[in-house]
Amino acid sequence: MATSTVSRTRPSRPARHPGRPANRVRRQLPTSPWLFAAPGLLVTGAFILYPFASTVINAFTDRRTLIPGRFVGLANFRELLHDDMFWTGLRNSALYVLGVVPALVILPLLLALLVQKNVPGITFFRSAFYTPVVASIVVVGLIWVWLLDERGLVNSLLETVGVGKVGFLSDQWLLLLSAMAVTVWRGLGYYMIIYLAALANVPRELHEAAAVDGAGAVRRFLTVTVPAVRSTMVLVAALASVSAFKVFSEVYLMAGPNGGPAGEDTTLVMLVQRTGTGLTGRVGYASAISLVVFVVTVVLMLLVLRADRREDS
Amino acid sequence: MPISRRAFAAAAFTALVLPLSACGSGGDGGGSTDASGKVEGDITFQTWNLRANFKDYFEGLVADFEKKYPGTHVKWVDQPAEGYADKISADAAGGTLPDVVNVSPDLVAPLAKAGLAMDLDKAAAQYKAEYLPGAWAGHQIPGMTGTYAFPWYLNTGPLFYNKTLFEKAGLDPNKPPKTYDELFSDALQMADKSGGKVATLANIPTIEDFGRYGVPLMNKEGTAFAFNDPKGVELLTKYKQLYDAKALDPQALTATPESSGKKFLTGAVAMNPGSALDLDNFKKQAPNLYKNIGITDQITSTGHVNMYVMGLMVNARTKHTPAAVAFAHYVTDAEHQMSFAKKVAIFPSTAGSLDDPYFTKEDGTDETRVRIAAAKSLKNAANYTPVLFSEQMKTALRNEVAKALQGKQSPKAALDNAVKACDQLLKQQG
Repeated sequence: MATSTVSRTRPSRPARHPGRPANRVRRQLPTSPWLFAAPGLLVTGAFILYPFASTVINAFTDRRTLIPGRFVGLANFRELLHDDMFWTGLRNSALYVLGVVPALVILPLLLALLVQKNVPGITFFRSAFYTPVVASIVVVGLIWVWLLDERGLVNSLLETVGVGKVGFLSDQWLLLLSAMAVTVWRGLGYYMIIYLAALANVPRELHEAAAVDGAGAVRRFLTVTVPAVRSTMVLVAALASVSAFKVFSEVYLMAGPNGGPAGEDTTLVMLVQRTGTGLTGRVGYASAISLVVFVVTVVLMLLVLRADRREDS
Repeated sequence: MPISRRAFAAAAFTALVLPLSACGSGGDGGGSTDASGKVEGDITFQTWNLRANFKDYFEGLVADFEKKYPGTHVKWVDQPAEGYADKISADAAGGTLPDVVNVSPDLVAPLAKAGLAMDLDKAAAQYKAEYLPGAWAGHQIPGMTGTYAFPWYLNTGPLFYNKTLFEKAGLDPNKPPKTYDELFSDALQMADKSGGKVATLANIPTIEDFGRYGVPLMNKEGTAFAFNDPKGVELLTKYKQLYDAKALDPQALTATPESSGKKFLTGAVAMNPGSALDLDNFKKQAPNLYKNIGITDQITSTGHVNMYVMGLMVNARTKHTPAAVAFAHYVTDAEHQMSFAKKVAIFPSTAGSLDDPYFTKEDGTDETRVRIAAAKSLKNAANYTPVLFSEQMKTALRNEVAKALQGKQSPKAALDNAVKACDQLLKQQG
């Protein structure tokens, strides 16, 4: 009985190890978690916190690659306001989000619905759709450059059918659209997998009930599938928005290091790279642009999450 | 939880304060310019994309040096061509710049300004007479006194053209253009006859092109750019005519030297600048083109062709100044430049080397013909790229030129804007 009373009144204390004093265990408690967390904290500190703090501080200096900076207050941000290339970069990054995100929210869902069906050979298609995700972006970019070149396969086909050559890689807007197409093509497989996981959780009975009530395929998609995977769609929208706003590789590979004709396809991250690197790089100014990218990215995430909450309410 | 708060505060403080340390004085000053002591110690030597083809040559060079100067040890490292400037800037910022570094004049300028390149007028003045005067001056920086790298190899190249395309356009394949007027007129004819399918040029004009056209690039003091003068506007106006007629490739606005080279290989473009190294490439990758390749001199209005200069910089913070200076001189002296030139199509920057029969005597092959012509033109060639012309300035010029070609602004406005942007960047460089 006594044992039972003790265990009821002091259930949280663990059984004492024979021969080990209790106070020793207590003394180790405050530091032990830090020791366990230390490797992770060190990595986070060295590769996330330190660079982030460094970027914030540099944004308020005129630091160059080889020349230490002086504090210049908001001068870098004032310069941004009058820098045409910054506005070009902001416009292109924003357009990229507008062009890529809707496609990456809707198309992978349709693709997931397609490959969800258990028909013979579907595993091949699932793998095929995922292949661009694991392929190197440099290889993918070069292949698309070859395809879309003036003498490439696409233009040869267009010429054969009488359309004539299209300047996919020489026109400012077509270049941006081509890069967006590559981003969407490359992201389809990744988001498809996320949707497949979400679709697996949609009860089959809901579809059956809707079908019994006379709903067609489109109606079932809109009234059963979409509401069921809505939170996944929000997640995809958030992930795609952030990665689209920070786009670099696709545009860099297709438009060239200069960012297309007259730099008109430059994105903000390309501008950071171009401004802040090299022996004469303006690290302070590039940090100020990075800070703007960070703030816009956070705002984008908040907007998507807020839209989700509004839908919920 | 007092400990966790303290630890968090310490971590936050460290994260915020550590970057401030980077805003410090920029180093400890390092080595001296006195190269008169005993040649000994461990030094590092960095080359620019040379290991793949010349491993044996450099290993032999290092071994010979170590044998000549017992007590020295040279560690040879090679970096790929792509991102070389970024690698140097990372090393320079991190204090890990090698003792002897392969540089071009535009790379050495910011390093010299940051106090990282040794002034060889102080440390190695006795060797100055061994080099061509123009080559020695190639690593002097406007606004600074001193010379900041040993001249190493020089390079220049002819203009290659596709004889078949010339013939198809009704042009005489044995009479390539020799002047800018002939070039522009031939290019317009080529575009006209091919229905805009074959362009003659694949690149928009660069600072070198303005220089070769006779445009003054900077003022005499080297403190401001001047390529927006009437001659510069004239060149850009002519390029605009070529672009409109598709005599300049429509993809020229986004072209790189590599992409232009490929266009020439595939017959999409009729002319392309190159070097003797390219002949081998044509032979392997485009045998049909090689059979019909035409070779002519670079077109210039100044009488001086463009040359590229490579140098060896000594790190001002080296701990072994005598060894680093001795090694940089050893690699770039007449004997070793000559032996390197016999392995690859480059040209020595040492006085008298270009008079060697290797650069003057014909043997009937294309390679020798190109080599002899290039060596001859190098004697009064010029490096048209100003040493202070940074990557950011190249981008600014390129963007404004592209806007002019697209008709978004006049050639005059484009060059005015480019000069304004470059002047601002020059001022920011300090």
